[in-house]
Amino acid sequence: MALAFDLDGPTGDAMLSGAIWNRPEYFTLGGYGPWRGLDRILRLLESHGIRATFFTPAWVVENWPDACRRLVAAGHEIAHHGYRHEKFWDLSLDRQRDVIELSQDIFQRELGTRAVGFRTPSGDWRVQTPALLVELGFEYSSSLRGDDRPYFHADALAGWEPLVEIPARSEMDDYASLAFTTDPNWPSGGDRIASYDLTLDNWRREFDGYHDEGLCLTTIFHPKVVGTPGRVALLDRLITHMKAPGDVWFATCQSVSSWWRTNQGVTTGESTS
Amino acid sequence: MISPGRWPGNYRSAFIVTVEFDADLRIRALIPDAAERTKSLSVGQYGATRGVTRLLGTLERSHIRATWFIPSENLERQQLHCAAIVRAGHDLGNMGVALEDLSRLDLSEQLHLIDTAQAAFRRGTGRAPIAFRSARGSYAPGLPAALVARGFAWSSSWRGDDLPHFHAGVARSLVELPIHYELDDYGYFVFNLDPPIPAGSARIASTREVLGNWKTEFAAYRDEGLCFVLTLHPELIAAPGRIAMLREFFDYIRSFDDVWVATGGEVASWWTKTAPPNLPGHPVEVFDRVRDGELERHRSTGA
Repeated sequence: MALAFDLDGPTGDAMLSGAIWNRPEYFTLGGYGPWRGLDRILRLLESHGIRATFFTPAWVVENWPDACRRLVAAGHEIAHHGYRHEKFWDLSLDRQRDVIELSQDIFQRELGTRAVGFRTPSGDWRVQTPALLVELGFEYSSSLRGDDRPYFHADALAGWEPLVEIPARSEMDDYASLAFTTDPNWPSGGDRIASYDLTLDNWRREFDGYHDEGLCLTTIFHPKVVGTPGRVALLDRLITHMKAPGDVWFATCQSVSSWWRTNQGVTTGESTS
Repeated sequence: MISPGRWPGNYRSAFIVTVEFDADLRIRALIPDAAERTKSLSVGQYGATRGVTRLLGTLERSHIRATWFIPSENLERQQLHCAAIVRAGHDLGNMGVALEDLSRLDLSEQLHLIDTAQAAFRRGTGRAPIAFRSARGSYAPGLPAALVARGFAWSSSWRGDDLPHFHAGVARSLVELPIHYELDDYGYFVFNLDPPIPAGSARIASTREVLGNWKTEFAAYRDEGLCFVLTLHPELIAAPGRIAMLREFFDYIRSFDDVWVATGGEVASWWTKTAPPNLPGHPVEVFDRVRDGELERHRSTGA
């Protein structure tokens, strides 16, 4: 079980367009994540003795350095998620490289570490992106949706260092059930915030299925969404449920990636298996 | 985990009810040709026809005094209801004139609206509110400071905290009581079939599950000693079935004797007297610190 959070804060489309600088209430909605949600989640993880991965735009590290240092000091993994949550689909390879190098420099300067994990903001990248990630020293990505266990990027078999993919699925994305704003409308059609109880029930059922089949589950949870007091109480119930069987390996994405490399070997895993 | 003395006496957490009395102004604001759409208007008018009285009864039953944000146009059109709200001991708040979208207005235009509404409150009730909420859209730079200059004590439009906080810079004496979509009946229940609101004709949420969400949040707010700000619309929550859910929620809150059920004004006043300044990592401080530089960078690079 690789619990993972995207610590986006106020980064994203409205910051990329500049609109957020005339939207203080929208900025604060995002800022709630690193300001309140993160510490609440860190307390929860500590109480359960679990380490997680935080995919964090480097702009958030620049502006909430102390919170991010607390995260790292507690033994969690901090990983790459753009500088201002750029959509890699929109960037040339050169710009992708710039964003990654700028962000790694900020991680090094503020946190004394560099990311070995990568999750592309909002999904799509360019077909050449995996090769760029390998060139820039990344060990794994958690960007795609198409499997329920880790695998090696197929192109990596053609002579690169292996790049592990730890796929995450929308069933475990808190945006799909709990995120809500108006102006801009999210969801775009104005759909409702889902029932907390039914959301927890969905998450438990997914976990149960992964556990039955011996798979690898990760999450796309956002501290600004799932970090409210009541939703962290849900996460507490979810983690309690997941710990009950007693034979679940709770690990960071980096640990899962390392294990997969060491024990699976590049020739045994294929993206279509 | 809870700072001692955060709330008065032995109170562990705070609970505030805010009401937005929109009547048909919301429909008029969202649908350009609403003026002759009798059915769509009636969806909102229900808030005046039935909603206010029923909601007042439920608040009284639970001994809760709320802050009612009333667009000044409704103050003038719904005088009997507004008088009943005042008579019941509730606070009033300024929410502009007719649910204008602040994002379309510059600072002087926003202030004109606010001043117009304050004048209507003075005429209608003899006093001007000390609370402001944006009906729609964003505060212009400088609005918090201008609210302070006009005697406002608190604002309730931003979303960056689950405790009260101060505004940044020269507006630091203005208290913000932050709101949250998940603690607002609007996102769960607003509905018009045609023209569609919400735009995607989303299903109305389960009343029972909304109660569950609110109870789950409230239990955690209480546990952590936070400030729960509920937002209600008489047009939505005061349907006969939903009001029973609200009664059940209020009964749940009243089952704890360590919850400070207070008005926004009482909490803002307490915060002013007792709370330390914002820490540097507070979202309003970050915004205040980086905004000018980010805008300048945006202008110079176009990215």
